[in-house]
Amino acid sequence: MEKGFVENGFIIDLSSAMNTTQLVFELSSIMEHPEVKGKRICLKLGSLDLKQSQLLSIKALIESMDASIAFIDTSSEQTDAAAVSLGIIVSKVGEGSNMESYVASPSNLQEESVVVKEENAIEDIPAYNEAEEGKTVEVHADITTAGSEEQNNEPISTLEGIEDVYTEQTADELSEVIPSENFETDFETLAVNEGLISNEEVSKYILLDTGDVLPQDAEENSVDTKTLPTLYINQTLRSGQTVNYEGNILIIGDAHPGSEIIADGDITVWGILGGIAHAGAKGNISSKVRALKLNAIQLRIAGLYARRNDTLNVPYVQKTNEFTPEEAQIEEGKIVIYKKLRRD
Amino acid sequence: MTGRVIVITSGKGGVGKTTTSANIGTALAKEGYKVVLIDTDLGLRNLDLLLGLENRIVYTIVDVIEERCKLKQALVKDKKNPNLSLLAAAQTRDKSAVNAEQLKDICDKLKEKNDFVLIDCPAGIEQGFQNAVAGASEAIVVTTPEMSAIRDADRIIGLLEAKEEIKSYKLLLNRVRPNLIKSNDMMSVDDVVEILSCPLIGIIPEDTGIITSTNKGEPIVNDENSMAGKAYRNVAQRILGEEVPFLDLDEPKGFMAKIKNVFAKLKAKV
Repeated sequence: MEKGFVENGFIIDLSSAMNTTQLVFELSSIMEHPEVKGKRICLKLGSLDLKQSQLLSIKALIESMDASIAFIDTSSEQTDAAAVSLGIIVSKVGEGSNMESYVASPSNLQEESVVVKEENAIEDIPAYNEAEEGKTVEVHADITTAGSEEQNNEPISTLEGIEDVYTEQTADELSEVIPSENFETDFETLAVNEGLISNEEVSKYILLDTGDVLPQDAEENSVDTKTLPTLYINQTLRSGQTVNYEGNILIIGDAHPGSEIIADGDITVWGILGGIAHAGAKGNISSKVRALKLNAIQLRIAGLYARRNDTLNVPYVQKTNEFTPEEAQIEEGKIVIYKKLRRD
Repeated sequence: MTGRVIVITSGKGGVGKTTTSANIGTALAKEGYKVVLIDTDLGLRNLDLLLGLENRIVYTIVDVIEERCKLKQALVKDKKNPNLSLLAAAQTRDKSAVNAEQLKDICDKLKEKNDFVLIDCPAGIEQGFQNAVAGASEAIVVTTPEMSAIRDADRIIGLLEAKEEIKSYKLLLNRVRPNLIKSNDMMSVDDVVEILSCPLIGIIPEDTGIITSTNKGEPIVNDENSMAGKAYRNVAQRILGEEVPFLDLDEPKGFMAKIKNVFAKLKAKV
């Protein structure tokens, strides 16, 4: 084989990327093009240092689009070493090779790349998969807002397919959910699913002793939450707003402090969960609470209440763009929180 | 035991009702009295944040009224001072969830077992104000040395005078800036007292420490070095019936006095 020549290949030049975040932006927007499908891809990575886990995530991203990495072209020793340990060929792109090339320029990437990344990432949430199978989407919950006496009984969003929701949203709205400058942690999320990063127990909640907190007619049970319907909410929940639903709740947006989410099943927040979350409100001890940033004032699962540690109680320090997906569940009569998203 | 029920009100928003409630409550509790703070600002509660108790609230005043829990269950104990407890407002409801009769009932129950029941009143003169005032027998009117706040305070004092249950009301002047008064850019304490013709219970100087204490959820009375904290402790003493002179907010004049002042400040820091 000639240097840098690959049959049915495609060169992606990412050497202009200044950091890994930009690199993922650019790569994901290029991968959106249908002509990339099925191609063997040569990545020009320039002098960017990549860790093994990051490179693996990039590989996974490319493979998820039915393409594969032929070789990478890098001038960084770290990336080189990472590639070798993963069995990826390191080579130089030869001049005059007959591969099509696509040179990423930052200008044509900004907006759409956000959407692409979002779609890729959301597939990791089990609730989404359910929607795809058409099991769910029966919406009859209401959001009540303090100060208005009328109850809004209209469905918040009926979801036919996830694409519809995303095309309706502008990049601006999405950036509310995930600040665009922070995609570093997505590497880690992907890596967890690859089994690279183990779950880490987080202890920042203290169990409250509140006695009998479940409604009187509620009985402890462990119904599989996958069998419950799911409510999709595509907005930011603000202080004083409550969502109450007889099933799972998925919020694409943040839940601000002072808001309340009460579900009979799981609660998933694709954003920062800052309010009160009560999963399994009718006694389902197998329900879970998960969020990109789990920062709830109080976590309630079935009959157990836990409050946030006082040292974490300072609102203005908490506002960071760091996302560490976390999941809370009941284990041996305690609410246990695990860092990183788990895949069962 | 029959405790005193004091409502802290102002009419205008943002003059420091909630800060005052949190600080006087904490100061009284530090003196060894049993104090309950009631937040009646339904839907816009803040008192829990100022006390740093937000994460401990399970039941609110609405749960008590709608009999989902006992009154005792809804009282949130302070982190540091077991004498102090909070009855939080519901964040997800509005003022119409409670009526004056129900609040009076709660106050009556609470004053049997506590020395002080302090009610943090919402801004405005509508239902929320009427509810908050219903159970109280004393009032503290908080105002700042600004025309708009004084006008609203005047209105509130008028309403309080019309209520038979309110036996006494006192004025608390908040956010006073001595250097602005000196340069004639702010109304003096005497001016305000003269306009409102109402007995004064405290003068609180403007203090940047209030901002950090609010964000930390720690009342400023716990800070021994803070002027505002000292002023609030004095207010608590006056509520207890002691005669405490008002703080001299004026900075000493003259070169030597200034130097002395600098040394005094350094000493205080050490």
